[in-house]
Amino acid sequence: MAKKSLSRRKFLIGAASVSGAAILAACAPQVVEKVVQQTVVVKENVQQTVEVPVQQTVIVEKAAPAGPVVLTAAHAWEAAFEAHQEEFDNNFMKANPNIFIKRVNSDWSAHNQIVPTWAAAGELPDIIYVHGSRAFPWNKEGILITVDNYVSADKPFDVAGIWPEALKLYQFNGKQFEIPYDHGPVIMGYNMDLFDAAKVEYPKPDWTVDDFVATAKKLTIPGKQWGYSGYYGNTFDLGNEIGIALVGGWGGEVFTDDESKLVVDSPESVEALKWWADMYTQKIVPNAAESTAFPSGVWVAGAAAMFGLATWGVPQMHDFGNFKYDVAPWPKGPKGQKTGSFGSGYGITKDSKNPDVAWTYMSQYLNVDGMNFMWASSGRGSPARLACKETYMKAAINPPNAGYFYDAMDKYAVTGHPYHTAASGEVADILGKYCGLVRTGEMTPEDAIANIVKEANPKLAAAAAG
Amino acid sequence: MTQALSTPKKPKLSPLRRKEEFEFYLSILPWIIGFILFTGGPIAASMFFSLTDWTGLTTRNFIGIQNYIAMFTTDKQFLTVVANTFYYSFASVILGTIGSVLVAILMNQKIPGINVFRTIYYLPSVTSGVAIAIMFMWLFNPQLGLINYALSLLGIQGPLWLASSTWAMPALILMSLWGIGGNMIVLLAGLQGIPDHLYEAARIDGANKVQEFFNVTIPMLSPVIFYVMIVSIIGSFQIFDNVYVMTRGGPGDATRVLVYHLYQNAFEYQKMGYSSALAWILFLIIMALTYLQFRFGRSWVYYESE
Repeated sequence: MAKKSLSRRKFLIGAASVSGAAILAACAPQVVEKVVQQTVVVKENVQQTVEVPVQQTVIVEKAAPAGPVVLTAAHAWEAAFEAHQEEFDNNFMKANPNIFIKRVNSDWSAHNQIVPTWAAAGELPDIIYVHGSRAFPWNKEGILITVDNYVSADKPFDVAGIWPEALKLYQFNGKQFEIPYDHGPVIMGYNMDLFDAAKVEYPKPDWTVDDFVATAKKLTIPGKQWGYSGYYGNTFDLGNEIGIALVGGWGGEVFTDDESKLVVDSPESVEALKWWADMYTQKIVPNAAESTAFPSGVWVAGAAAMFGLATWGVPQMHDFGNFKYDVAPWPKGPKGQKTGSFGSGYGITKDSKNPDVAWTYMSQYLNVDGMNFMWASSGRGSPARLACKETYMKAAINPPNAGYFYDAMDKYAVTGHPYHTAASGEVADILGKYCGLVRTGEMTPEDAIANIVKEANPKLAAAAAG
Repeated sequence: MTQALSTPKKPKLSPLRRKEEFEFYLSILPWIIGFILFTGGPIAASMFFSLTDWTGLTTRNFIGIQNYIAMFTTDKQFLTVVANTFYYSFASVILGTIGSVLVAILMNQKIPGINVFRTIYYLPSVTSGVAIAIMFMWLFNPQLGLINYALSLLGIQGPLWLASSTWAMPALILMSLWGIGGNMIVLLAGLQGIPDHLYEAARIDGANKVQEFFNVTIPMLSPVIFYVMIVSIIGSFQIFDNVYVMTRGGPGDATRVLVYHLYQNAFEYQKMGYSSALAWILFLIIMALTYLQFRFGRSWVYYESE
């Protein structure tokens, strides 16, 4: 009798059948086990009239969940800060045994791309991190819910204790959608070691832009050390929090308040921007080629005496800066003192099955104690509450005069536009493109401003009309 | 007397033939399912989305061909983007094809250790795109990069490369030569398929090496060169990784290419509908170029069987 063996054809058929079955099985909708048990106490007030339809008022009182609830929270922390987040979550779960927190952490760029993907799939986590620049487009698309009802019912949360400048970043159509956790200004950082070595006096609290540029000149050694290196390495920049810092001291603005157009071509703004661009001509700041020699940034490498610094830049200085540094107020311009501020927050998404429980987490995460634990004590960012200032000032990683951050928020920092237009992504790109050409010396500031206005204003107008 | 026309009867399939047909379809079923789910389906969906103002989130309204009209009216960058893509593609394909032909000829020598050299030339084409981009950012660094250092040894001051709107695109084009190994392998196979008797006949007729190259090698290799050019053009039009990592379309719009523009519109400007339309325009451009290549290929590609 002939021995039967497995032919190639039979093998291929078997493999194809198995693959087809596997693919079909993988495509089957997932069955999600729900372990939520909630006790809901409902009070009804029913009014009846003869001639009008029955009106029913249903008041739902929140109760602690009777069974375990899984809340998912999406963050955008760097790896070093995750442990701190985990500690908060563990403490929260101990205090709230029926709530289990499931964390999802991505890097900042990935988070901002994954959220729209989740939204399109209807699979948003319960709570998500929202950067100020994403608040408007995400709120406009309805992927987060308003927290007005929660905030007004939760008196201990004390929303009034949060800076209005910070809150307004997360308002849409007059409603509050997210709650900020930090909001910080850009002020001036300075390398104390370089100042000491050159025997130059530290910046005074009431210094002006003329004092600033005179100081920068004293601290510039051509080709080796620069008096100023800009904000994240960019001296000429019109991004959210730095644009207004550059022009505000001259009485200029970058956007109109309603963000329907750019006004960076006003005489005041042009004068300011020419002043800042002239620092390249004076070689007080590194040019584009010189900057590329410092992958971590000229300022972190200790080759720049002064640099624009926001509160969220402090951890980087602590971790990577190998020199003593401090901060000073943003210098006063000819017509006053102004700088930009910005921040981030958290919100409850439309796909949350447990928004009430999500608010329970958010209210503890973003109240005074939560902000003190997460951001004030760690120095990770300046919390959006004045009540957290004392704790923030004691954070080990902060520079000696970190109080100047709060001074700026109190006195002269404004939230930097744009944050209320659907065209913010495109406009940011246009601003970055032409500012980059000024930094490489390929375009004058006047031409850059003219091109910015020509290209961006139609987009802003269309977004305002739409 | 008219005879009624009858359609010839389709021959009945034998049981063995039916069984073979069934096995055929079963064998290709996994690929078909995968194609429909992960390629065909999304392609059809993107055609639909290109006719809407979908933001990628929730807003989606049918707007007809407005996205396609907007490319030529409201999108001031579109023509620049297309021009940049053509510039990159044509330059990199021409240089890459010439380079890979020359390297393939070098690798076709019968010398000891030639396999080592073939491996060395092929390895770059299997390395990670992002890692290569980061490496080249350092090579092109105007202050610290090896390229400007090498130029300085010749007394030439190197340009700003990626920080210059004039030199950024040439930098990307030069970088594309890093991956000629893949085409080199294909051309090497083509070279090794050229019969020796053709070279012998040419030598007998008094041809020198250069004449052999242009009259024997190139014509016999022309079908492979044609294939390499088609595949290279299709690939070069879709350049994205290097632009995203190295230049982000800058300085200015100097290196803004079509796929990067598409990506920005989709994920940064939240214009998923418009970016779907851009994707279809890219498809049409590539199709048109491929058609033109086939059309004009008839005049210079030599097929031995014809």
